[in-house]
Amino acid sequence: MNRALIGSICRYSLHDGPGIRTTVFFKGCPLRCPWCHNPELVQAEPEMIFRSGICIDCGQCGPVCPEGAVRAGGEERIDRRHCTACGRCAVACPAGALEMVGRAYDLDSLEEVLLRDRLYYETSGGGITLSGGEPTLQMGFAGRLLARLKRRGLHTAMETCGFFSWDTFAFACLGNLDLVLYDLKLADPVRHRQVTGRDNGIILANLARLLSVDPARVLVRIPLIPGYTATEDNITGLAALLRTMGVHRYSLLPYHPGGLVKGEHVGRPGDATLPATAMPTTERERWQRYFGSMEFVPP
Amino acid sequence: MAMVTLDDISLRQHTLHTLPRLAVLRQEALRRKPEICIERARHITRYLRFHDDPDDCPEVRRAKMIRYFLERKRARFHDNNLIAGSTTGKPLGAPLFPEFFALYLWPELEVVSRRKKNPQHLSARDADELNFEIFPFWMENNVIEVTRRRYGNPRCLQLFEKLVFFIASKAGCISHCVPWYRTMLEQGLTGIMEEAAARERLAAGRSAARQADFYRAVQIALQGIVSHARSLAYEADRLAGTSGDPGMREEYGIMADICRRVPAGPAATFREAVNAIWLCQVGIHAENINMAMSPGRLDQVLYPWYRRDIDEGRLDVARAIELVGCLWLKIADNVTMVPETSEEMFGGAGTVPAITLGGVDADGNDAVNDLTYIMLRVTELLRIRDPNVNARYDYAKNTKSYCRRVARVILNTRAVPAFYNDHANITALLGQGEKPEHARDYAIVGCVELASSGRDYPASSSIMLNLAAPMQMALFRGRRPITGEEQIGPRTPDPAGLGSFEEFWQVFLVQLDWLIDQAVQLNEYMGTVHQEMLPSPLLSALFEGPMDRGRDLIRGGALYNSSGATHIGFADVVDSLNAIEQAVFVDGRYSFAELLAGVRSDFAGPTGEAMRLYLRRTPRFGTEHPLARRNARNLVQHLFTRYQSFTNYRGGPYRPSYWTMTNHAGLGAVSGALPSGRRAGRVFASGITPVSGAAPALTACLNTVAELGGEQVPGGWALNIKYTPEADRTVMAARFADTIEAYFRAGGHQVQFNIMTYEDLMDARDHPEKYPDLLVRVSGYSAYFNDLNERMQEELITRTQYDLTGGHAVPLPPEAGGA
Repeated sequence: MNRALIGSICRYSLHDGPGIRTTVFFKGCPLRCPWCHNPELVQAEPEMIFRSGICIDCGQCGPVCPEGAVRAGGEERIDRRHCTACGRCAVACPAGALEMVGRAYDLDSLEEVLLRDRLYYETSGGGITLSGGEPTLQMGFAGRLLARLKRRGLHTAMETCGFFSWDTFAFACLGNLDLVLYDLKLADPVRHRQVTGRDNGIILANLARLLSVDPARVLVRIPLIPGYTATEDNITGLAALLRTMGVHRYSLLPYHPGGLVKGEHVGRPGDATLPATAMPTTERERWQRYFGSMEFVPP
Repeated sequence: MAMVTLDDISLRQHTLHTLPRLAVLRQEALRRKPEICIERARHITRYLRFHDDPDDCPEVRRAKMIRYFLERKRARFHDNNLIAGSTTGKPLGAPLFPEFFALYLWPELEVVSRRKKNPQHLSARDADELNFEIFPFWMENNVIEVTRRRYGNPRCLQLFEKLVFFIASKAGCISHCVPWYRTMLEQGLTGIMEEAAARERLAAGRSAARQADFYRAVQIALQGIVSHARSLAYEADRLAGTSGDPGMREEYGIMADICRRVPAGPAATFREAVNAIWLCQVGIHAENINMAMSPGRLDQVLYPWYRRDIDEGRLDVARAIELVGCLWLKIADNVTMVPETSEEMFGGAGTVPAITLGGVDADGNDAVNDLTYIMLRVTELLRIRDPNVNARYDYAKNTKSYCRRVARVILNTRAVPAFYNDHANITALLGQGEKPEHARDYAIVGCVELASSGRDYPASSSIMLNLAAPMQMALFRGRRPITGEEQIGPRTPDPAGLGSFEEFWQVFLVQLDWLIDQAVQLNEYMGTVHQEMLPSPLLSALFEGPMDRGRDLIRGGALYNSSGATHIGFADVVDSLNAIEQAVFVDGRYSFAELLAGVRSDFAGPTGEAMRLYLRRTPRFGTEHPLARRNARNLVQHLFTRYQSFTNYRGGPYRPSYWTMTNHAGLGAVSGALPSGRRAGRVFASGITPVSGAAPALTACLNTVAELGGEQVPGGWALNIKYTPEADRTVMAARFADTIEAYFRAGGHQVQFNIMTYEDLMDARDHPEKYPDLLVRVSGYSAYFNDLNERMQEELITRTQYDLTGGHAVPLPPEAGGA
């Protein structure tokens, strides 16, 4: 696999590891969390985004579609059943309302983009973070990329849901990672399967292995989602789990409704029960108490 | 000995509460309304009418005129400032320089006091004196009219007078330079006069009459300053006896003593040194117009006096801050007389005297000292428009704590100082053939221009060229919509018939080069007129070079001689080149004829709007698109090569630069639509800054600007960046400093900031009463937001605001009115 499908590249990112960083969002994820913050990155294929708010209704998109999958007018412009994500409508769109998400990069071209902000990493102690989606779904490419970045002396991090084959990960990635941002969602295995579509057994086993290699390289992060993860039972359960596993640093990511709008743009509206407003800091601080003396790393 | 000995470099214990004199002086200064001062105009006109000897050489005539004025200039103390002397006879004065453009005021004498924007008070008596005695004398004798007569109303002068192609600043000033004060402080003006006298005798012995005359002129001009200092001493003595304030009685006594000793003699104390520099600045303003007469690296110049006084217990840090604060307020005691006609182009500007702090010394070592931090603290506390304070930074030699301290001052004032990269700027000056020790001793002139302190006479504001003019002339066969059917430039081919972008680029260069030729031609004409009309023996005495060569600055006496040409509309023109290349020659989306029709119609109707939106999504300057990067690089390279090929009347090259004052707003207002998708009448982007909204990613923006830096930008640039303020300034300052350093390592010359949001500025526009002293960075200088005209306010509001927690542009709210 010499090319990877990348959803987006975010520069000057401050929340995915130390310093100023560039974060690469890989496309495709094995989980289906209803609160997903990046719903446009879940599918492992390119797809079209439509933002009705900036559409000027010029009608230039419809005629160029070879599949007849672009409907005139309305909020939902694309007929997802027929769209092949060829991107012709995005080229035609003068307003930039249509956009393709998911672009194949080879190692050279991705590395070139990632090195553009090298000076910012150097002055701030930052580096590169692989995120997604789930970067380990494209493990071979991710590993070769990390090896290249490491050879250039850059600080590397990976944001993962933990659902991967340990052997492949240990072989391909681990040696070239300075930091693993490890997301945990739900403590209860049944609930985990119900909500995300996957069991958390592999996730917890991988975390244990990772901690046994080098606990200093791991930061466990828990998204606080009202009605899902941010419940008395779950947080108590996760805190107990972390203590048993010997985790001494953790972070909490307060809920943000940004994913809801993005879901609509790719025709997959999010969970209607989720609030439309961001979680206040005070609530995050309240959940922090459950973790006792464990070191809290601000998100 | 360590040069930084302060326990706390932020000097936070010193505030306007602990420095009540500065608090009061600052309040008074902010409340003052400018008044036109005719004192200089009156005296030089009388001198020329009744006493001038046409048989004297130009240098001596000028020197006698200056001395005549300084001997008669009234000694005034307007407030409780500890520094003696003021530029004009008013607390906040706008002096008149009838040699230049003061006559534009003639039709406005009745209304200048009452106009809505930035009125300048003029008494009826003074207006009469101007009307009947002063202005009539200058009708035929100002620089523009002399040039017109001498060269038969040349085409280049007519073009300048249309004001939409280029501005020839020589019509307005011989200024924009940085003198070197160390010699004056060490030897006193008497020492310089003695040297001039000795050299005069030697020159006379060699029968070098012109040189002997120059040395004589130096002595005469400097006598003027000494004489004015004596008047100030008498007046201070009188006030010491009569002032109702016992504290001030003592201060007047001290000032009287100081004015008797300096600047005639060497400065013995820090306070004497500060006052001596100020009196020389007053002298410089008697000779030449008050525009960008920049005091330079005062933390370096004054340091020995500061150190000695501190070590010997004559001075403490609080008193040093007070004295520096007094100097800052003195420097701000004058504004430029701006006639209504110039409000659009220059409204709200101060006089931009630049002070430069930090960086490295002539040997390349860390030059930051205690005075650097004292001057930063004063800048942070006063938050006033002038002086224009600039901080140099050498990321290899200066400390990170210095960088972060400067960053913190910027966040606290939300605007100043501007930040300069030593590596890029020294490289630029080395490329101009300056010796390393001279290049390292550079200071900022006026807005952003570079000059080796007291060695470089850069006339850095000689030409201000509107790049949108040659772009339109290339589109319309040598004509511009604003000047109608008149054939301005060469009749180049209709672009609709061109087969490649390269062919259009060549057409554009034909128009650009033609316009540069016109601007250079006029600058040469006016320079020659200056050499006869406006020698500057006083200023020459404070430079390295003229004394050795026996030649005035205006005749090429400085070690380095150049002329500066700055450019307006850089980003809009690069984006237009990009849009043409992409739309017509890469995508083939529109034919050139369709594009021209769209531009002519100002993108009218739904198809026009679709075209405009498409054009705005073609590669933009400020993104890393290879096409956009190439076009920007090619334009910078072409301008550099072209300007360097000329030799000016003083024997030096022309240096291109990229700063725009407020011209980008004024010229944008009168320029038609551009292929970049910019609508007619909209402001241009400022300095070298990308067009608002065109560069959504901060690091991409900084990288693509920075890669243009180095030898090809010898005149410097202004990059304007706006950041969202954050609650935790300490955290922000560290990240802010890291980001600036990365931009510098990438090659950026300069960057300046406004730490405010779109909404902050819109609120300031809608409720001016809430923001009486809101200081903003324009494009190379600071201004009070309320003083700016509507268009310039709009430009500041619509500038891209970046969020430094995500490195991306914050979307412009629709009510901001940008397009």
